[in-house]
This record gives sequence, C-alpha cells and structure tokens, in this order.
Amino acid sequence: MLFQIQISRMKTSNVIWVGNYSTVVKRDPVLHWSWKSELPLECATHFVRMRSRVDDAKIPEPRFWSNWSSWKEADAQKSLGRDPLFLFPKDKLVEEGSNVTICYMSRNQQDNISCYLEGQQIHGEQLDSNVSAFKLNKVSFIRKTGTNIFCKVDQKDVIKGIVLFVSKVLEEPKDFSCETQDFKTLTCTWDPGTDTSLPKRSSQSYTLFESFSGKKILCEHKNSCNWQVDSDSQEMYNFTLVAENALGNRSVSVLFSLTHRVHPKTPYNLFLKNVSGTKATVTWKVHPIGNYSTLLCQLDLLGEGNVIQQHNVSIKENGEYLLSELEPDTEYMARVRCADANHFWKWSGSISQKFITAEAAPSEALDVWRNVKSVSGRPTVTLFWKPLSKLHANGKILSYNVTVENLDRPSGLEVHSVPATANGTELTLDQDSYQIHVTALNSAGPSPASVIVVSGDPGNEEVEEERVNGTEDGFSVSWKPQSGKAIGYVVEWCDHPQDLPCDLQWKNLSSNTTSTVISSGAFRPGVRYNFRIYEISTERMAYLLEKKAGYLKELAPSDNPQVVVSNLTSHSFTLSWKDYSTDSQLGFIQGYYVYLRSKAEKECHPGFKKATLPDKSACCQHRIDNPEQKTFVMENLQPESVYEFLVTPYTSAGSGPLDAFTKVTTPDEYYLVEKGPYTHTHHPPHDRLRFAHHDHLLPKKSVENPHLTIMNVSDCVPDAIEVIHKPEGSKIQFLGASKSLTETEFTKPAYLYLLPAEKNYSGPGPCICFENLTYNEAAADSGSCGHFPVTPEALPGQPGPLTSPENLLKALEKNYMNSLGETAAGEASLNYVSQLASQMSGDKDSLPANPPEPVLCSEYKMQMAIPLGLASPPPAENSGLSSTTPLDQSEHYR
Amino acid sequence: MSCQLAILCLLTLLLPPLSRGAPMSPAERITQAYNLALSMQENMSTLLQTYLQAQGSPFSDPGFSAPELQLSSLPPADISFKTWNALDDGERLSRVQGAFLALTQHLQLVGDDQRDLNPDNPILLAQLRDARLRAQGMLGNVAAIMTALGLPNPRAEDTLGLVPFGASAFERKCRGYIVIREYGHWTDRAVRDLALFKAKYPS
Repeated sequence: MLFQIQISRMKTSNVIWVGNYSTVVKRDPVLHWSWKSELPLECATHFVRMRSRVDDAKIPEPRFWSNWSSWKEADAQKSLGRDPLFLFPKDKLVEEGSNVTICYMSRNQQDNISCYLEGQQIHGEQLDSNVSAFKLNKVSFIRKTGTNIFCKVDQKDVIKGIVLFVSKVLEEPKDFSCETQDFKTLTCTWDPGTDTSLPKRSSQSYTLFESFSGKKILCEHKNSCNWQVDSDSQEMYNFTLVAENALGNRSVSVLFSLTHRVHPKTPYNLFLKNVSGTKATVTWKVHPIGNYSTLLCQLDLLGEGNVIQQHNVSIKENGEYLLSELEPDTEYMARVRCADANHFWKWSGSISQKFITAEAAPSEALDVWRNVKSVSGRPTVTLFWKPLSKLHANGKILSYNVTVENLDRPSGLEVHSVPATANGTELTLDQDSYQIHVTALNSAGPSPASVIVVSGDPGNEEVEEERVNGTEDGFSVSWKPQSGKAIGYVVEWCDHPQDLPCDLQWKNLSSNTTSTVISSGAFRPGVRYNFRIYEISTERMAYLLEKKAGYLKELAPSDNPQVVVSNLTSHSFTLSWKDYSTDSQLGFIQGYYVYLRSKAEKECHPGFKKATLPDKSACCQHRIDNPEQKTFVMENLQPESVYEFLVTPYTSAGSGPLDAFTKVTTPDEYYLVEKGPYTHTHHPPHDRLRFAHHDHLLPKKSVENPHLTIMNVSDCVPDAIEVIHKPEGSKIQFLGASKSLTETEFTKPAYLYLLPAEKNYSGPGPCICFENLTYNEAAADSGSCGHFPVTPEALPGQPGPLTSPENLLKALEKNYMNSLGETAAGEASLNYVSQLASQMSGDKDSLPANPPEPVLCSEYKMQMAIPLGLASPPPAENSGLSSTTPLDQSEHYR
Repeated sequence: MSCQLAILCLLTLLLPPLSRGAPMSPAERITQAYNLALSMQENMSTLLQTYLQAQGSPFSDPGFSAPELQLSSLPPADISFKTWNALDDGERLSRVQGAFLALTQHLQLVGDDQRDLNPDNPILLAQLRDARLRAQGMLGNVAAIMTALGLPNPRAEDTLGLVPFGASAFERKCRGYIVIREYGHWTDRAVRDLALFKAKYPS
C-alpha cells in the first residue's frame, strides 16, 4: 500500500508537509510512521491526515486514491500548565553547525517578550499572536554544560529558558591501520579526533567490523582495538571502524593482507663481546614471528650521536655482527631494530647499548718544538709539544718520555719522564749536540718518537728582519730555501708577545713549502708580532732562516715621545727623544712630525709647512722621514720669544695625539753669571739665571704662574751674587744609582731646587745654595740650606705651584728616581730654580718620609733686593695646549 | 590539605562535643549555633558566585538577580519585623529548624542537579556539599537548643515531595539559584535569631 500523508500547522488549511509512505500491509496490521517537526510541536497545533491506494504491480491500472482521512489534531499545548511563558524544545542535543528552531509560547498576547542567547538578544518570527519561533543557524559549541537561551516578559520579572546542548562534530577516525607482532593478535589504532562527550552523555564509541569473517567487536578504547587472529587460514582482512554517538556515526575501512602488516617486537638481549681497540662483536635476539618469517635487522653504530656505520643483517632469532674499523678508546653505541624481511611494514622499536673500545698505543708522534737559550752560560733547551688529539692519543696519556742522547760524546741515554699534565720540559745541556726523542705513553704503549736535535751553538741569529703585512686571515709568511736539503720548515711566533711567557706557537711545514698563512685568534691590531722561520735539516736540527715582523693592523701611536730640550740659545734649541723605542709601538714608526708655533712669528721656518691643528689653530709642521732620527734642532729663532713645540711619531695609520705642546722661551743675548771654576766643562754661550717661581726677583710677574722662564738680568738690579763651587772632582751621588756622575759628565743642564733651611733635609756633599737674606730671615739665621740633588725633570708639568716646600719635595721625589742616570747638573748654567719665601702652605703630611739626600751643593750667598718695576715681564699665559718647560730639560707630563 | 582542613573545621562546628563530661548549657549551645551561622554567612557570597558562574548567561551576567523566582517548597525567610519580634522562643526556633530542614533537602537536590550539569566543576560540587553539611549542622544545633530550653522538637518531614523531578536543565539551574539564595536569606535570619537568643540566655 502507498500512503500519502499531509501535515498542517496551526490550521488544517496550512499544509506544511506532504509525503508518501509505502509498505506491505498484512492482516490487522498496526503501522508506525514518524515525522520530525523542525518546530517544536509544543508551540503549535499540528494536523495530520492521509489517504491510500494499492501499490502492487499485480493490480492493474487504474489504481485510485482512497478518500482523505479526517484531520487528526496533535496539540501539545493542552498538556502545559498555567505558566505565563513557555520555551521549547527543552534540553535539546544537537551537533555543532546544525540548524535549530526554538519557539516560545505566551499565555498573554499583550506581554512584551524578549529572548536572549548567551546574553545576546535574538529576534524571531511570530507564528501567531502568542507564538514566536527563532531559527538558529549553524549553532556553535560554547561549553560542555550547554548554551542557555532564555526569554523574559518585560515588566513582569518572568524568566523562562532552555539549555541547548551542542555537541562537537563527530569526526571520521583518522590514521586507521592494523598490524600484528605475532600473527596472533591484530592491533588496530586510529586517531579518534575530537571528544564529543557532554554531561550525562558519553563520548563516541567505536566498533570494529571485519567483513570476511563477519565478526564485530566493540572497542574498549577510544583509539585502539585488539582483534584476535583465529587461525592461519585468513590472509586478507577488511576492517570497518565505526565511530558512533547519540547524533550519528562515521566510519572508515581498511583492506590488507596479514603478512604485509608485520610489526616486529623490539629486539632484546643486545650485548657487546670481544671488544678490542678496533673491533667488537654485537649479539642480540628477536621474538620469532611465525614459523617461516625472516627478519631484517638494521645495526647502527653511533659515535657522538651520529651514525657512522650501518649494517643490515637477516636473522631468524639470534643476531650477531662483527663491528670493525673502530677507533681505540672511543665510546660508541650499537643500536638494533628489525622489520619483516619479506614485506617491509614498520621497523620495530630500537634497542641500544653503549661500549668503549680498548686503548691502543698512540698512533702519531708528538709535534715538538724547542727554544734554546743560555742560562748562566749553559744552553738550556725548553721543549714544547702539543697534546695529541683524541684521535691519535688512542687512550689516556699517562706520561711523556724524553730521551736525551749526546751525539758528540756517546755516553748512554738520559731518560726523563714528564707528567701527562705537562706540555713541555726544560733541559740544561752543554755545548754538545743532542738528539732528543719525545714519546707519549698510554696504557697500551708509547707513541712513535718525535726526534729533534739541538746544539749549544745557537747558530746564526744575525738575520735581518723583514716586514710582513697582516690581513684578516692572518700573516702571509714566505721564505727562501737556503740549503736545499731541508726536510721541513717551522714558523715560530708568540701569540702574546707583550706577555711573559709569550705563549710560544709554531707551525710545521713540509720541505716543499715556502710560504704559509699564520693565523691565530689571539692576534690583535696594534700588536707587533715577530715570526722566525727555521729550516729543519736532515739531521733534524733547526736553523734560523728568516725573521719577519708585522702587525695584523697598524694603529696610530697612542703616545708621543718624551722630548728633551737642550742647547738653548737665543736663536735655537735642540729637541731630542732618544729614549723613544720604535719597536714596541702600535705600528711601524715611519718618522716624526715636529710642530712649532709662536706668536712672534707668523711665517713658517724653512723646512716647515703650515698645518692646522684639531682645534683649528695654525702651526708649522716639519716631517722627519727617518724613524731613527730622534733629534731635531730648531734654528733661526727670535731671542726672548716664546715657542711651543710638539713632537709626534706617525705610522701608516696616522700620527700620535696632538695635545700638549711644550713652551720654550728663548733668552736674550746677555750673559748674567760669571762662572767660577767651571773651566773644565763645556759651557754654552748663554748662561742664565732661571727662576721657577721668582716672585721676589720679578716683581711684575704674576705669582700665579709657576712656570719657569728666563729672567732678563737687565730687568734686575743686582746686589750681589756669588757662586761657590765645591772642589773639583766631586761627584754627584744619586741614591740608588748604579753609577756616579762627575761634573764632567754633566752634559745636560739642570735645576737647583732650594728650600728654606730644614736640617732634616740637609746632608753632606756639594750643593748649590741660594740664600735669600732679604726675604727669609729665618732661613738666613739657620745658617744652612736645603741640599737636594739636581733633578732636571722635577719641575715640568707639576700640577701645583712649587712655592711651597711640600710640593717641591713631591716633585723632587717623584722625578728623582726617574731621572737617575740621565741627570746632570748644569755645566755652564747657574740655575736658580726656586727661591722660597717662608710661606708654608699645602699639606705638610704629604712630605716624603725619606727625601732624597742632597749630594751636591753650591751656595748662593747673597741676593739682591729687587725694586718694583724692574723685573722682567712674566711669561706668556699658557694656552690650553701648552705648558712651559724648563729650558734645558723638557718632558711632558699628562 | 586546605580542603581537609576546611572539612575538619566544619566538623568541629557541626559535631556535638561528645567527650565532655558535663552537658552543655543552653547558652553554650546557642553560642555554638551562632558561630556556625556566622561561618555559613561568611561562605555564602562565595557559594553564590561559584554557582552562578558555572551556569552561564544570564546567571553569570554581572549583577544577576531574579527575586521573582521562587520555590513553593521552600519557606520564605522574609518576615515583617513586627511578626518576627513577636515570635516566642519555640516558634522562632521551629521556623529556623523547618527552613534548614527544607534547605538541607533542597541542597542535596541542587548537588545532584549540578553533578549532572557541571560534572567537571569539583569546586562547585564541594561547596554545595559543604553548604548542605552546614545546613544539617544548623538543624542539629537548633534541635539541641530546643531540647536544652525544654521546647518541643517537631518531627522532620519531607519538604520536597514530588515537585522537583522532571525539571529541564534550565529549570534546575534556576532552582539551584533559588535554593542558594534562600539558604543565604535563612542564614542571615538565623544569625539574627541566634543573636537574640544569645542576649536572652547569656552564659
């Protein structure tokens, strides 16, 4: 029979659905048919009617419909209570993404009702005066506890709601596959995807169905299922996995042959046997798979985490393999995994075992080098060697053996054992030649010997040094072979030439090599590196071949030389910086710049050219191209003029700092002092009295300026001056000096520093003493005066005025030690440096505890009173870059 | 640990001091009941907030309040001051006892509901269990006071009946809200009632 069914909503004329239902009708049948309404039935009255006709091919046409049945009413509203508002459907379960229709029914059509989904108002379609429906499209999963939808009647505080339980979408199982480890059980696994469980509703379940056998099992786990293989008869399997929850199901199938899905169990009992320095035997076992299966096992040998050997071994149950070509004293790991040899499906799990090979004697000779020096007249050989690499040591080095054999006078072997922690040793030998063998020992034996021959004769050290340029890669060093019989070359250098020890390095090169690049992470710009190239003779003796010196990168000098001013005349003076070493600078010194500036002269002297200083001021510059020319004579100067000079070296990277100029004032052309017994000395023609701070003698001079200058005698009114010199041949004895200087050795002028008489500082020996009877009665009364050695460097650059004895003493002390050996009293100048009044100021505590002892004195017995206005003008004020230097001895202090 | 400690403290308040030799005086019983009521009052706000947050909108909306929602099976705590003031000791205690009897049963129902609706919210379930235990404790304490004062102790009755079963999820959420709200109201009233007894029967 075929039944045609009509469904109406609200009223019978409003047909919303028509459908057919065909079924076989038996005697007294009760037929069941159901229809799901999208709109909850509680919200509207529904009507249903049907008609039928025969639907049997045996019955000839025409076949007529029966009459429609009467409408049957389905009215769920009648069973509701008297509440003012109802909301449907209650507690509905849907899948995420589906469409849901909800409705409310109000008892009072006057009520104003608003509805909300998770706080957001929703708007629906009014079905009649009391009923509205809301269609929610593609509902989202919000939380497992459901989505609240509620409506409220405004002004009446009535709330009604429902909870929509939205389930996550049930996914098709992913990565579904089955395999066996023993042909007894098939294990099927899959990725179940999202959990669709909700409160009071369990997650999806899984069922495994095999079509060939027709068997079905309910899986206990969400992601795996075990299937018992009943017999060997079934080779093919066709599994269907069905995932199912309250809302539906998803399924996935797989068809396979059992023998193609063999996943062996992890091998076991992996052992290493007969482990020697280079070989080891590996054994292992596997779980058998069936009666005829063969397994293919992969044996990996790993060193430091990397696979270094790989071997394939076919086995039934027991595996064995001999590993060879191993390194002694090395840790390895053997790792085994297996798979079905006939139909590869998957590797089994891996089993691994670490082992260490036995030690073997070191395989290489040590890289040995030597340094020969003379200690107390005896040649002393320092041997250096580089530790053997792990690859060549073949074990733990226990010690080094150094065997010394005298080649000139055979007298047996001398054997020294050096601890393993050392990388060198020192041997004291004689002038004979010695052959030295050095070996490294581990538990398995000694290394091949490294042989070196040394001789007490250092050989030719007089090799001219050449320059070598440094690059980013290092120093490219090349040499010319000499003997033609060299068996090799060695380049030697220090990584830290300024340190002690200097970290001697060497590089061995073959006999057919004549160049190499020396690189080191220790190389720094501005450091001079010296390279010595040795030729190794067939007798294994090293001969110095060449010397090279170079900078990775030359830098500009950081310091200027300390310049001494001498031979000052009214028209010239001499600058010298003989102590300046050109070897230990930041680059190769190519020469010097001499800068001169003077307010008196606008034009540059011949040989000078105009230059501009960093502060934009102008000066004159003279270039000296010879780095070994360390003197310069300034000529054609004006008398009684102030000159400022600066000497700075230059390298390829630039010159030194242009900071502190030194001031020199040329004297006038008058003589001041008659000298007494200095006849045996060489006297420059312009002797002068010089005053460091002669405010008594130069009334016009400002006392703030502590610098020295020349007092023009014509500005003074001499009262009386007397120079008393002690007997000839007296020597100036400097404390701590290794030699004494006679007056005849005084090639440089010096200052005399005078203090108020203090007996503590007086001492025996010759001195020059000025007594200012006019201004210092206390000193005069004392009948003695300070006796101090003459120290040319004492005054220049002292930060404070020297008007106080404390400062003066400091200056004396500081410079005293530095000046030893080069200090000489002025041979022709009577140098009045400081005439101190009795002003005692400054920190007396800072007086040195042991002031230098005076050793030489001359005495200035009487002085003059200087009338105001007769003193020579004060020296020019210093510029920022200038300081005033003593005439005869000039040094810079910064 | 803190959970165990809380339960221990709770039991200290709920369990009668069995080990004591002398029976407790009415004042001591009143004080014990009063302290329990204060403890319940302290936990009320947390319980209500935890509950509402677990139910979703509109319950979890800020400032949610639905005074119109009522349960006929729960006696209202609201009472005019005049009536309240005129209550005699027996009536006063009987009403408190009746209310907490009903609350105990309703809190059991709410706990069951939430085990269905919020099975993964152990904090809420624990707080509901604690509230029910406290309500039971209050019931016992009030009964003890009535006994100590020589007042008749009414029989416990089933206040729930058939009413709550078959409710929808939303209705159960509403019901839980009402029960917890009324639990708070009755706790406040119990504090007030017991304060009155403390004044009347000083130790």
